[in-house]
Amino acid sequence: MREIIKVCFITFFYLPYIAIAQQSIHTDSASGAISWETHVDGVHFSLTQILPEQVQAFYVNRGFTLKQIEPYSSSCVYMTVLRNDNAPGTIHFISNNWSVSVDGQSHPLVSVNEWVQLLTTNSTKKSSLVAFRWAQFPPEQEYEPGGDWNQGMFSIGLDESAQFDIIAQWDIEGKKYEAKLQGVQCAK
Amino acid sequence: MRNNYNIQASLIISLLMVSININAADLPPLTHELTSVNKRLAAPELRLQNMDEEIVDIKDLKGKVVVVNFWATWCPPCRREMGSLERLYQATKDKNVEVLAVNIGEDIDTVFSFMGTVEPSPDFEVIFDPDAVSMDSWKVRGLPTTYIINSEGIIVYRAIGGREFDHPEILKKVLALTKQ
Repeated sequence: MREIIKVCFITFFYLPYIAIAQQSIHTDSASGAISWETHVDGVHFSLTQILPEQVQAFYVNRGFTLKQIEPYSSSCVYMTVLRNDNAPGTIHFISNNWSVSVDGQSHPLVSVNEWVQLLTTNSTKKSSLVAFRWAQFPPEQEYEPGGDWNQGMFSIGLDESAQFDIIAQWDIEGKKYEAKLQGVQCAK
Repeated sequence: MRNNYNIQASLIISLLMVSININAADLPPLTHELTSVNKRLAAPELRLQNMDEEIVDIKDLKGKVVVVNFWATWCPPCRREMGSLERLYQATKDKNVEVLAVNIGEDIDTVFSFMGTVEPSPDFEVIFDPDAVSMDSWKVRGLPTTYIINSEGIIVYRAIGGREFDHPEILKKVLALTKQ
């Protein structure tokens, strides 16, 4: 009986602690932006808040109107980084396959191509769409160990102040790996 | 009118904040590894206008080692690595090395303004791909991406994400190619 209690104790107290310990959160003193980051199996994964006004400013400066870019800027956008520091091989991922959940319920992601279609109207400049497409975190990519990485915008598709968990997934020669960030908050 | 002014002022402030956010956040370090490309792949076509609106064709650079860097001024790691790319160019230009910086989706005025802020100021060739058509043929999936082409026109190294191009390890690899 004591053994069972001991196992339960370890399961309920220590294991969650280990999982959370892999995640760090910090706030940038200049901008107030909160970052969530983790390092799993040689791969760094982080999300940094971007305020909706900051997303608007970025894309208005690239030729979008406020009205055109509003659906995207209000969709909970993060500066996302994935870097292969020293994983045991080439990592491959499809970011639209990453899993987002809110209160344990799966939340579907809108793909970069879907965003481009949504933002394409008769009045959208082609140069604006080119900038939009290439400022996004890559929909699919491969990174070699030693520091291949990308930094790009990634929309979660939630309202401001929403809180969610995200699991980034990649594979190395077919073997699956994942990194989880918990309790991530959309910027207000 | 006043409303428009307020919106514009707010956008300028927000733009500055984006810049602060991008620069001040704990940015990932620029790395200095180049990945060897084991398959012998010839460099795809690349024929675009430069700042002087003259056509630059990578075919004409055969016999030289060419560093091809895909970038944009709004891409934070691209901006961060630009100075080191110029230092690489300065250290190798007399040894049969060329740098081609392929700008994606922007115009000459935008790039010219940005280049004035880079230290040291870039002297290498910048060419323009306004519709990002070269991204498919070069299999670029994210910015920045850099390829190093040997004197036979074969891709020998690749780097995805920002690099310190003037790091001794990268300089050594580029210079070694000039001796092959």
